[in-house]
Formats: sequence, structure tokens, C-alpha cells
Amino acid sequence: MKLLVEPSGKNINYLSFCDGLILPLKDFSVQSKIYFSKEEIKEIIINNPTLEIFITINKNFLNEDIDQLKEALLYLDKLDIKGIFFYDIAVLQLKKELNLKVDLVWNQTHMVNNYETCNYYYKKGVNYALLGKEITLEEIKEIIKNSSITPMVEVISIPSVAFSKRKLITNYYKFLGKTPTSELKAKEKVSNQEYLLLEDSNGTSFFLNEIMNGTSIIKELFEMNTPYIVLREWAIDQKLFEEIVKDTYYYVKKDCIDEEYIEKYRQLGTTNFFFKKTIYRVKNNEK
Amino acid sequence: MKNKKIELLSPAGDLERLKVTLLYGADAVYIGGQKYSLRANATNFSIEEIKEATTFAHNLHKKVYLTLNIVFHNEDMYEVKDYIKEVADAGVDAFIVSDPFIISYLKENYPNIEVHLSTQNSTSNYKAVEYFKEEGINRVVLARELKKEEIKEIIDKTKMDIEVFIHGAMCTCFSGRCALSNYVTNRDANRGGCAQVCRFPFETDEEIPFTMATKDLNLANYICDLIDIGVTSLKVEGRMRSLYYLATVIGAYREIIDSYYNQCLTEDKLESLEKRLSRVANREVSSQYFNKEADWSDQYYTGRQELSNQDYLGLITGYDKENDSLIVIERNYFERGDKVEIFTPEGNIYPYVIDKIYDENMNELEVARHPEQILKLKFDQELPSYSMIRLIEKSKV
Repeated sequence: MKLLVEPSGKNINYLSFCDGLILPLKDFSVQSKIYFSKEEIKEIIINNPTLEIFITINKNFLNEDIDQLKEALLYLDKLDIKGIFFYDIAVLQLKKELNLKVDLVWNQTHMVNNYETCNYYYKKGVNYALLGKEITLEEIKEIIKNSSITPMVEVISIPSVAFSKRKLITNYYKFLGKTPTSELKAKEKVSNQEYLLLEDSNGTSFFLNEIMNGTSIIKELFEMNTPYIVLREWAIDQKLFEEIVKDTYYYVKKDCIDEEYIEKYRQLGTTNFFFKKTIYRVKNNEK
Repeated sequence: MKNKKIELLSPAGDLERLKVTLLYGADAVYIGGQKYSLRANATNFSIEEIKEATTFAHNLHKKVYLTLNIVFHNEDMYEVKDYIKEVADAGVDAFIVSDPFIISYLKENYPNIEVHLSTQNSTSNYKAVEYFKEEGINRVVLARELKKEEIKEIIDKTKMDIEVFIHGAMCTCFSGRCALSNYVTNRDANRGGCAQVCRFPFETDEEIPFTMATKDLNLANYICDLIDIGVTSLKVEGRMRSLYYLATVIGAYREIIDSYYNQCLTEDKLESLEKRLSRVANREVSSQYFNKEADWSDQYYTGRQELSNQDYLGLITGYDKENDSLIVIERNYFERGDKVEIFTPEGNIYPYVIDKIYDENMNELEVARHPEQILKLKFDQELPSYSMIRLIEKSKV
């Protein structure tokens, strides 16, 4: 099982404790705070030949973006990149049209929820899928068992919750008559749950302001030969994140038998939807 | 402008609303079955009701589209193929789908039924449209975040049939890219359980809470542009809306479209139809992204009461020939002296002043104060079923 890490800064202190990096491409990605230029990506690849490098291109593209997207994909195709995390189907269409050799990772944030659709994308030449964060461990296991695609499971992150094209923070502060910031903490009153909002030129991202902690499911994923787990650094305390990466690295290398690791992180954050099923038909669920 | 007349596509939450909206001028309706629809908590249609719906629509040479547009989990896949067979046999004209596996399954097994790509995919560029065109999709419902020029470029470059939302509630986030409901309420937004968390207030360090609720969409002013750039279908949002709302909104858009094609859409007529639309709106409206990037003026920021519409006074269900009276089911309070309009599915409007109100036994009443009560109003001609009465001006007495 390999550890893929999305860093939140450009000085990465845990390179020897992970197997690969996920780097959001500047101007083509959203829901991150740090973006990497094509040149920076090239340099990271040259300086870290043993790391698997994945790139994130997860904007909802407009017509006017397509030519630049084409150029970026052609550029990346010449680099030693393991795969591109994509949201917009335009990326898949361009891979087909341009006959790109680079692999793709199906990364439609809240939609990667069943094995049939994973298999559909696999048949379309998409070799990887980052599974949704709003499904249970049992659902994750069922997908891993029944799909041909190479699955990735996000186990540590401040989970992304939503994305809007609107400048929601700017609009709010304009209404207040104050100077806008690029970040905002907002708490939903009834659930008492806090969210982090992040705004840039592409729109506004929502994150749960709590660490999604999947350390307790790693052993089961390991036993199912899950090829990749994903850890994202953004908005997690830097020292804590580095410690998690190192501990997880050793935990996996030692076949996930270290109970101390589980104990150490038992109280951290939330297990999100790993053990909690969402409902949708309110009346039936109330019966 | 395309040679074929643009389609007016209406929502329908149940069989009665389906009949009303088709009678009031929709060319097609979209409905949800009891499974796999993004409005899991609407009434929705049983298989028998879908059969009745398609028969009713086809007799009018109109169409019924079925939403199958949830984001599927494993368990949703177990029985979906059996369900698809049942609804296909019930005669639906198209499926509205977001999941590409389901799209490929439908194209392979039901090649004679159209497949429309749901707005849940937030398709926003011509390359993505080209992908789905090659997958056999017959129509794409575009993301609601697009400008007129962007829609036009997609149509010009792909020649795909394009459907555009023109009226109703908006999502704050990209459709499909929002799980706020999952996190805040545990209700799965992408499986039909959306709790509309984007209309909740959020506390911040500021005195006034953060809100992100959007105003509703209204493109009545831009229907001519949408026809001119070659859009195939104009879609109204709201499978949970009332009979009166649908009759009014669909009736108004029908008139705008027909008047434009008949070259008789004057500014005065458009203004009057917009006024009619505004009377059934329960929120403020804007054109959102159609002309510009949506900005602060397209949202709400403070606690705001949803307006409850009291204009809908009654539904006409028949005619009492013996007493020359319309039979009416009361919907809202009215009294003698109220100025009203009686309007029919064909678009006829009869100005009327409430003079005398009778109960079903022709006993005279002072006022109509009991919604659902059967009443009679003197009128010199029979009107078609599903004609309605709306308030224009309250009695000054």
C-alpha cells in the first residue's frame, strides 16, 4: 500500500516517508491553497525520481479554458507523471483526442461512489479512482472488491465539502460594508459544526473544519491490498501532519499490526462517513 | 434560430400537476419515479402513474422524461436494471441521467429511448459535451453557471441539443459538487436528500450571520435570445411546486414563446407577463449568470421570510348548468367585491368581480373562508377543467 500526500506548502519535510505526491496545478485546480506551476512540477520530478507524482486538474472548465488546458496536458504528458486527478470530463475527452499517454484518476469529488461506474471509467482508459469521502467503509470495500480500476482512499484530510463559482466571502463582506478576506470560518447553528471557506479567483471552497481520520480503517484497506491511501495536509497543523505521515508510513510498512498507532490517533477528528451511512428518503428512514 | 420550435419543459411532482402543466402549454414534462430521482422526498410517480402520465401526454402529442439522475452508490445498482425496464415499458420518452455507467447501459439496451445528461454533471464546456455526444447522449442540460455567449459557443461547436434552465430556484454551488447537506444533516444531496443547507444561516465573528442563499432564476426577458442562439429546450425548475404556480409560470412562458415566434411579442406584453410571473414568486429573482458573473446582488444576506402566495383563490372543477355556476374548490380566502381573473389552460383570461358566493347547495355565503370547500360562482359559460381563479385586487369595502 502506497502513501500519496498532497502538501500544503512548497517545503516538504516528509518526502522520505511517502511514496508519492499530489500536486494541484496552478490555474487549473480548485479546493487547495497551494498550487504548483508547470515549472515547479518539473523541478520536483527531477529532484525526486523515486516519488510517484500525480497532478490535480479539477476545475470546472469553461470554453475559454480549453485551449490552455490542451497545452497544459500536452506539457504534462511529456513529464514523468504517474497520473492526473480530473474532475471535468473535458480532460478525459482531450486525453482521447490528443492520444495522451498519461494515466488519469477519476476524481469527481462526491461522485465516486460505486463499482459499476468505476468499471465504466476503467473501460474508457481511466486507470485510477479516488473514492468518495461520503461513503462507508463497507461501500469502499465493495468497490475495491468489484472494480478493475486502481482505487485510492483518502484517509487523512480536512475534507472538502462543496465548491461554488460564486465569490461568497467577497459578497458577504460587501454586504457588511467591510474589506473581504480570502478565508472565513462559519459555524452552522443547529449541528454546531464549523466550516472553513476559502475563496480565490475560481470561486469558493467549503471544508469541514475537522480532521477526517481514517487511521482506523487503514488495516482493513491494507488487508484488501488497496494500492493507495491519500493524506492531504491543508489546514492541518504542520507538525501534527508530519507526525501522522511518518507514523502511517511505518504502520503500513510493518503490515498494519501496530496497535499503538491506532490508539495514538483514536481520538483525532472525525471518522466522517466511514461508519455512518447517509440517508436520503426522510420519511422511509424515519419509520 | 433552429427550424424546430423550442421546447418548453415543465416539472411535475404528481399526476395532477403533470396534467395541469401540459394543459397550460408545456411541450414536455420531467418527472421522478419512486426510485433514483434527485427529489426523493417529493410525491413522485409509481409505475402505474408513469403509464397514465405517458398515455395522457402522448395523446396530446407531448413527452414525458424520467429523472434517473442520482449519483449511484453500490446498493442503488442492484435493482436499477429491473426498474429501468419497468419505466421503459411504461412509455417514457427520455431518461435524464448523470451517471455515465447508466448512460452506457441505456444506450446499449434501450437505443430507441433518448438519454439526456442531467445538470447534476455541471457540464460547462464544449469538450465535455463532445465526450457525451460520442457516448450517444441525445441532449445535455448545461450547468446553470454559464453565460449566453458560452451557451451559444457550445451549441455552435457541438451541434448538440442543449437544454437550459430558465426559471426557479438555484443551487449556490455547482450541482453535484456540493455535499453540504451530507455533512450538516446527514442527508445525501446527490441521492435526492438535499436539505438545502445553502439556505441556512452560519455564525461568524461578525454580528450578521453568513448566508449564501441565492435569488431565484428568471430568464423571461431573455427567451428571445435563447431561441435565437439555438437552444433546444427551456426548463422550469420545481417538481415540488403547486398546481397554481405551474399553471401560471408555464402559461406565461408559453405565451412569451408563442408571441415571439408569431412576431407579436411587444414590450408591453412581456412586461405584463413578467408581472404575472412575479405574483407567484416567493423569492426575488435575477438572471444569475446569463448576462454577467453572478455577484452579491444575486444573493440574500439577512433572515428573509419566504412569501406565502395568497393570490390563488380557487380551482374550477366543473359547471352547474342548472344554476349557471362554476364549481370551484376554494384555495384561499376571498369575499364579495374582490376583483379576480379566471384563467383557462388555453390561455383565455376573464376579468371577474366576485358578486355572490354560494356553497355547493346554493346557499349564499358572505365570504369564502374554508380552503378545500366546494363553492359556486355565477358565470355564463362552462370553462375547461383546471381553469383557476387568481386575485387581482382586494375588495375595498
